[in-house]
This record gives sequence, C-alpha cells and structure tokens, in this order.
Amino acid sequence: MTCAEFQRVLPYIIDTGGNAEQEQHLRECAVCSDLVQDLRYIADQAKLLVPMEDPSPRVWEGLQKSLEREGLVKAAPARRPLLGAPAHGWQWAVAVAALVILAIASFLLHRPEAAPLSMATGSQSQPTATDQDDQQVLQAVATLPPDVRSTYEQGLKDVNAYISDARRSVDQDPNDPDAREFLMQAYEQKAMLYQMATHSGE
Amino acid sequence: MLYGLHKRRVYSLCLRMTGNTAEAEDLTQEAFLQLYRKIATFRGESAFSTWLHRLAVNVVLMHLRKKGLPEVSLDEALEPQQEDGPKKDIGARDNVLAGSIDRVNLERAIESLPPGYRIIFVLHDIEGYEHNEIAEMMGCSIGNSKSQLHKARMKLRDLLKISRAEKAVRR
Repeated sequence: MTCAEFQRVLPYIIDTGGNAEQEQHLRECAVCSDLVQDLRYIADQAKLLVPMEDPSPRVWEGLQKSLEREGLVKAAPARRPLLGAPAHGWQWAVAVAALVILAIASFLLHRPEAAPLSMATGSQSQPTATDQDDQQVLQAVATLPPDVRSTYEQGLKDVNAYISDARRSVDQDPNDPDAREFLMQAYEQKAMLYQMATHSGE
Repeated sequence: MLYGLHKRRVYSLCLRMTGNTAEAEDLTQEAFLQLYRKIATFRGESAFSTWLHRLAVNVVLMHLRKKGLPEVSLDEALEPQQEDGPKKDIGARDNVLAGSIDRVNLERAIESLPPGYRIIFVLHDIEGYEHNEIAEMMGCSIGNSKSQLHKARMKLRDLLKISRAEKAVRR
C-alpha cells in the first residue's frame, strides 16, 4: 500500500481503525504514522477546550426585554448591589476572594514583560487563589441540587486547568498579548464562578 | 440562573461556529429566547445542558443557512484536491505536534479555518457530535462530514506547525 492510497482513505478510518493492510502501512510508514499521530493529538486537544468568553451585558439586556415583551417573565425588580450585605461571613469571604483573584490577575498581567509568571520551573503552576477558596465555593453550593452542584465542581476543574494552561503560554512567550488576554479571561472566569456561587447560596 | 450557568458555553459555541462576535451575541440571545419559549417541552430525555446545546446548534445552523452555508460538495469528497496529495516528506521527518501546542494557539488556529471546515471541526472535535448527527444537521452525507473534518484537521496541523516554527525563530 502506498502513502497516497493510505491517505486517501484516512478520513474514513482515522477514528475507527483500518483493515489489516492499512494498519500494517501505518506501522511501517513513519510519515503516515506521524501524520495520524498529529491529527489525533489535535482532536484530543480540541476536546479539552473550555468555553472562554462571556457575551457582553447587552445580550442579557436584550434577552430580558424580549422575555418581558413576550410575557415569559415578569419585569425584574431592582437588583441589589452585587456585593450587597451578605447574610453570612463565608459569602463575604468568597466575594472577597473573587476580587482578590481579579487583583492578582491584573497585577500579574501588568508586571514587566520579561518576568515569567511561573514560580517553579517545569511545573504546572496553580493559580494563586487557594484550594481553600475553591473549597469554600464548593461548600457554598453544597445544598444545591446535584446537577447544579456538579456543574460548579466541573466548572472549577475546567477553569483551574485553563488558568494553568494560559499561565504556561504566558511563561513561554511573555510578550504575546493574546496569551496574556487569555490568562486574564481565565481569572475573570474563575472570579465570576465565585460570584455566582456566592449568590446561589442566598 | 439558567442564563448565568450556561451563557458561556452557548456563546463560545456560537462564536466558534460563526467566527464573528456580533453574530455570536445575537445568536446567543436567540438561543436563550427559544429556550425560554420551549422550556415546557423539555421532557428530560437527555441532560438539560445537552438539550440546550442542541437547541443552540440548531439556531446557529439556521442562521448560517439563511446566510448561505458553505456547500459541501459530494464530488469534493470523492475526488481529492491537489492540496490533499500524500504528505510524503522527502528527507527529514517533521517533529510531531504532540506536547507542543497549547490552547491559545489552537483557538487561534481554529479561528483561521475556512467557515465550512470550522463548523464541522467545532461540532465534531469540540462539541462531540457524531458524524451521523452532523450529516443530519448539515444536510450532507456522513462521508462528506468525515472528509471535511479531515481537511479541517490537516489545515490546523499546517497552521500549528507554522506557529511553532515562528515561535522557535523568535526565541
């Protein structure tokens, strides 16, 4: 089997496997083997991409107006401030943690370009928000229905992985504005998760 | 609450499929509006997030059809183009990508894909739809879906290798 023949059928066998002849070519041909390895790696990495960006506030404003116009929801009462007087000390602590995360992210992103973010060489550095803060968030949502709770748990895992990844990108190229923007977005995402948890417990 | 929990995923889906921020925001709004209209029809046959996700995909695809969705040619699937010739490198092998790409570069590369490739790649490799589901949604054959996905991945491979080479030069 030639490489041309193999690569002609590759789209149809890459995810399911080929026949004996095709598999043998894959074992014996370094070029086709590298190609398949690359394509599978790209597919695997794509599965790990987490949702990154929030829509602007105008989306919610437009949605609210449409829902009210169609009578699907009642007009919303005046909202109290986001960090209004919390009933419990832990809610205040979680809200403060959210602000601290944003402050840390802002500091890290505006430090001199040459300074790497990683504290340890070669390690996947964790965000400076502590595990304790994550645990407080999980406690805040502990009484919610299981599917909502697991959404928060998964959200925390995803956003922590995203922060690690984004930090690695910035460390590799501190002058890359996109990498720094992604890192900021990752921290913002975590801060928003904290804020949502704060309000979900009310 | 529903909006807060799901807006990011719905918006990311719309943005990745359209490649346009304003369109993605309009489609996100439309998806949630339809959600609120149809919530009473949700019977729990699947997870709520799965149901919402499928609804959002349909909203985006309907929008793209109205705009003139990139046609997937049956002939294209049967007769490979010149650019899809065998990748038999003469001389030294290229280093494989494994371990060398990060999410930042991958997101950038996905944004650069032609719309037709990007839609199928997003639906299959990111959002996890099977080829038979994509074929039904896109009105094409399963073979076309596989062919387009392959081309998308090949294009991404090229873009990511270029990006890696550029980074190596900058260092």
